[in-house]
Amino acid sequence: MVMGLVSCQKELPDLEQPEQYIVGSFSEEFEAFWNGMNNNYVFWDVDPTDWDAVYTKYKPLFARLNINKDEDIRKAYTYYREMTANLVDSHYTLIPSNNALLDSATINPAYKRIQKRSDFHGFISEGYYYNNVFVNILGRNGLRTVDSTDGAYMVTGKTSTNVLYFHFNQFDLKNRSENGTLAERQLIQYFFNGINDNSVRSVVIDLRGNGGGNLADLNFLMGAFTDKSYSFGATRSKNGPGRLDYTPWIDASVTPKAGARAFTKPLIVITDQYSVSMAEITAMATKALPGGNGRVVGERTWGANGPLTSNVFYNGGQFSTALFNLVYTSSQMLRYKDGVVYEGVGFPPDVTVTLNVLQFQSGRDNQLERALTLANQ
Amino acid sequence: MKNKFTGLLFLMMVLAFPGYAQWSAGIEAGYNQNVLYTNAGALAFTKYRPLNGFSVGIPVQYQVKDWFSIQADPQFIQKNYQVKRTQFFEGIYQDNINSYVQLPLMGHFTFGGEKLKGFLNLGGYASYWSMGRIKGVQANIFSDIESTSDTQEYNRYLELKNGYAYNESYTFIDRKDNRVELGWLAGAGVSYQYKKYQFFVEGRYYQSMTDQQKDYMINQIPRYNQTYTAQIGCLYQFAKKPKKSESSN
Repeated sequence: MVMGLVSCQKELPDLEQPEQYIVGSFSEEFEAFWNGMNNNYVFWDVDPTDWDAVYTKYKPLFARLNINKDEDIRKAYTYYREMTANLVDSHYTLIPSNNALLDSATINPAYKRIQKRSDFHGFISEGYYYNNVFVNILGRNGLRTVDSTDGAYMVTGKTSTNVLYFHFNQFDLKNRSENGTLAERQLIQYFFNGINDNSVRSVVIDLRGNGGGNLADLNFLMGAFTDKSYSFGATRSKNGPGRLDYTPWIDASVTPKAGARAFTKPLIVITDQYSVSMAEITAMATKALPGGNGRVVGERTWGANGPLTSNVFYNGGQFSTALFNLVYTSSQMLRYKDGVVYEGVGFPPDVTVTLNVLQFQSGRDNQLERALTLANQ
Repeated sequence: MKNKFTGLLFLMMVLAFPGYAQWSAGIEAGYNQNVLYTNAGALAFTKYRPLNGFSVGIPVQYQVKDWFSIQADPQFIQKNYQVKRTQFFEGIYQDNINSYVQLPLMGHFTFGGEKLKGFLNLGGYASYWSMGRIKGVQANIFSDIESTSDTQEYNRYLELKNGYAYNESYTFIDRKDNRVELGWLAGAGVSYQYKKYQFFVEGRYYQSMTDQQKDYMINQIPRYNQTYTAQIGCLYQFAKKPKKSESSN
């Protein structure tokens, strides 16, 4: 009888890392991808996608494909696009490795979502900040650098009314302050000196078009504006193989830099729909400044708030399969201190200013103008 | 599964012969180790580990034969486990302290002398996962520990990131958590009769037959509690035990 009772238990399935699958057919590739997502994707409790229904629908479809035929590989790629179309993770990108897909665009559901926004517009070119803002707004009163190896550029300076302005297109500030070129180190130091300059009346950090980067920059940048640690939200990660196995919410805080003083003047961050990841996290940290002097101006951000690192550190996030060099996805979930998860939605500004494209084309930047107006008040 | 469980209860009831019956009730307490029968799937450097807990109960016995009683032990019991990361991630863990209100129902088979007896318990149980607590340490992704030199080496992730310690109530997830547990039990022990008191020591094993999770996803790895308990207790007999000569007439 005891043996009979034990036999009532379900069997433990054997699950392997997606990278370990021996893929000789599309059935195996599908299993590797589906299980990889099932176990590593961190947004299942807020995501509308019925991942079990995806399994039921697509398993037989993949079984009909031949992994050695280019046309079937391309067909499979359309299936992957459909399967992942509604994932909320706005970091989510499928980067294929197969030669048959070299001319295919990466699968990026967030960009499709952005394109459906009523305020959708094109990406403001880097040259605008590097040339127009530096010359026309800052009057060349500042510094600018560009790294030709990776396209990283930074612009900082003071306006005629002593507003300290800073724009950069990727978060790599801490690294560049330590290991960058002399010009980069000087530029970053110029900005941090400006924060403590009594003549500076306010600070504008322009994060439009900023694609994110190193998490270490959060404390490096925002830690310069506070003399005490403060919370702006919470993160959680997976702690088991089940879709809903999570750690508790863990406080996400800004830690002050050594010697930092509380910044009590206005700090204004400009965001747009191309402010991604660390740019969004920085906007959150700005809004949550303890003194209430941080404001976010511009557009709702891209919507990729979840911190991202290698899978092994937090038992979730990015992985690869035979067909994909990388399934690029967040390692953790982040919620703002109001309790809302803005993943897939975008962090909303305090002052909404949609880019007036026609004006912009004629040389007026209504978002920067509004931010400077607030900064000059 | 339900049929087998019902059959076991039915067998107990058929054996119950009221002409010989007497009631005993008492108290018991025990220390246990719970093993979560599961695996961590493809998670790197992650293990499920047993944790210790305790139980307290009120055993109620209904003696049917000299050698057989029916026993129920309404009890409070912890079934704890730990999710632990290993090697480079040593120090990152979560203790899951899970409390159950449990009703074991069993056949109690005795053998041996008048005062010192051995016994075996065999039966089933139903329990309700009434509350949970989680405590542990996780790495805080936004909290870097600054290196002291360019040549500093690292042996633990918690040397790179500050740990975040927590100790809080577990919030049940309706979609996932199966709070009703059914299972079987087996126990063995010895008892000593002193006047109307019966003192006992018992080792008991609880095996869950139901997954701790609802069936909420394909390729779900089930989780079954396996609880090893060592307990002591005392029963008080409410009615005088009839002599064998009287009961045979």
